[in-house]
Amino acid sequence: MAERKTERLMNLIFALLVSRQYLTKEQIRESIADYRDSTPLAFDRKFERDKEELRELGINVEMGSIDKYFGDEPGYRIRRDEAELPDLELTREEAAVIGLATQVWEHAGLAAESTTALVKLKAIGVDVDTSVLRMAEPRLSTDEPAFDAVWDAATRRIPVSFVYARPGREPMQRHLQPWGIVSWRDRWYVGGLDLDRGEQRIFRLSRIIGEVEFSGQPGSYEIPEGTDMKDVARALFPPLPEEAAVLRIRRGRGQSLRRMAESITPLDDETDEVEVKYASRWELASEVASYGPDVVVVSPADVRETVVQRLRAAASGRLDPSGAFQ
Amino acid sequence: MLALVPYLQGNDGVPVNEVAAEFGVTPKVIRDDLRLLMYTGTGEYAGELIDFDLTALEEDGIVHIRDAEFMTRPLRITTREGAALIVALRTLRASASGEELTVIDSALAKLESAVGDVSAPVDVLLDEVDRDIHAAIVRALADGKRIELSYANASRDEQSDRDVDPRRLFTEQGKLYLEAWCLKAEDLRFFRLDRVVAARVLAIDAEEHDAQVRDLSDGIFTVGAQTPYAEVDLHPRAHWLTEYYQVDLVEEREDGVWRAKLYGADWSWLRRLVLRNAGSITVVAPDTLRAQVADDARLALRAYDEDVTPSKE
Repeated sequence: MAERKTERLMNLIFALLVSRQYLTKEQIRESIADYRDSTPLAFDRKFERDKEELRELGINVEMGSIDKYFGDEPGYRIRRDEAELPDLELTREEAAVIGLATQVWEHAGLAAESTTALVKLKAIGVDVDTSVLRMAEPRLSTDEPAFDAVWDAATRRIPVSFVYARPGREPMQRHLQPWGIVSWRDRWYVGGLDLDRGEQRIFRLSRIIGEVEFSGQPGSYEIPEGTDMKDVARALFPPLPEEAAVLRIRRGRGQSLRRMAESITPLDDETDEVEVKYASRWELASEVASYGPDVVVVSPADVRETVVQRLRAAASGRLDPSGAFQ
Repeated sequence: MLALVPYLQGNDGVPVNEVAAEFGVTPKVIRDDLRLLMYTGTGEYAGELIDFDLTALEEDGIVHIRDAEFMTRPLRITTREGAALIVALRTLRASASGEELTVIDSALAKLESAVGDVSAPVDVLLDEVDRDIHAAIVRALADGKRIELSYANASRDEQSDRDVDPRRLFTEQGKLYLEAWCLKAEDLRFFRLDRVVAARVLAIDAEEHDAQVRDLSDGIFTVGAQTPYAEVDLHPRAHWLTEYYQVDLVEEREDGVWRAKLYGADWSWLRRLVLRNAGSITVVAPDTLRAQVADDARLALRAYDEDVTPSKE
């Protein structure tokens, strides 16, 4: 079935591409076996779907009037100059960068897609020699089962619904118009208009349970103009550090805290006084506690108190059921 | 599959295996595609259908395409292909520096102009690293120079200086790493860029070193027989740890506490992780780690004038 459809689409492309004039629907039907074998109604449906499919592939089927003898009957063709890949006039470095880009995906499907694009460029004479550049070799991997469907939905603007499970909460059915997806710290997120809440929200793909269902047609909503996925994803990022804390850190220790230091003042041969900015007292307290006796909080009092709580729990060796921890 | 048609005409007599490698698929996929292509063309008569030299194909695995002159140039890069490639370029951009950015930006612009209607609403965000350090390392890699590196080791909480010969930059879990030959350790080492305190490009050429390259396909941290681990109890507040670290769940208790094996690069890393999340995680075994955590905490509490009674177990 899939093969028959591929064959039909290829033949449709070839027929419309080589023809210098517009072809009537009847001519198209006559020249392709699968159309010919269909009832008129089935042919109509297939032809409309196929045109849509070509459009999604980026191939525009142009409609025009054939000539006066055929009256108003519309005809179809694919304009070769529009459909064919134009020369990109890539420099040697640009071609190398594109070559390197095809090594980024560790997702089989998308690796093949980007590789095909590269082959097309090679076919129009682009010389790809990646050895002219030595750059970082980033990798993009996906092990989230929901990735393919969400990628599809986000790139084609298809509304979706899925079951979403946040840790410690009941799984819930969610409805979303995806605006885009973001990879951050090796995890994929989809952001968009949350139809249940009527607000912009972001979801982590690994927390989607089961199938992602398409609940509408491609292109059935608009992404608000000026949407930047970095802004949509802002909810993921830690807020800006604005509070100041003073710590005493043993010389040569507390590396992560020293790296974020505003100032470091030696107190004696063994200890430095270090001022840091922080956004969350819970996170700062965690970092301080992780260094044990090497780091002590001087101020503020609430961070001091949080660290003491954490250290008490560590000294007791027991879980603390109270809500004093985040 | 359409891209095969102009490609095969431009590479007459190419072996099937090479076609497969070029397209990043298996030879079987290519053979199936060729078979299907024979049913396509501009019409249904001989000469209108695409044809292959079947003897050469079946006996020598070599592809000669015929009667495909109507399509010698590939069609535009499709939306899907374009989206995959553009996102990959954006990923490169996120880990690039200096002049590389200009090249990537111009490649992206040319590509975006050639791809019909591509909105690739996909972004790849990497944690920021110090720009100067990043640029220095990129420069050293490009010019093949040695680097003097100050590096903060997180688990041992030490800072040390060393000379390294850089081999490559890569990303793992959304962070940039440098793989380099460490002249102090005389071995390959990975350095996380956000832990590099300073990097100075030396006027010395980097040397080739005979090093076993580690297979990173399972991630930079792999659990082996020698990997230290602790048996821990995790309060629901700490269940997120199982998503971020190497963890084997042992038991999910009814009160919501999970017992798990937590693997670490070394014992001091494990000790710091427990201290960091104390109250939400406790060590069940081994006793040495359990005791170390408690001792560290008691020692630390003294600085806060705490009267600590050793806990009775």
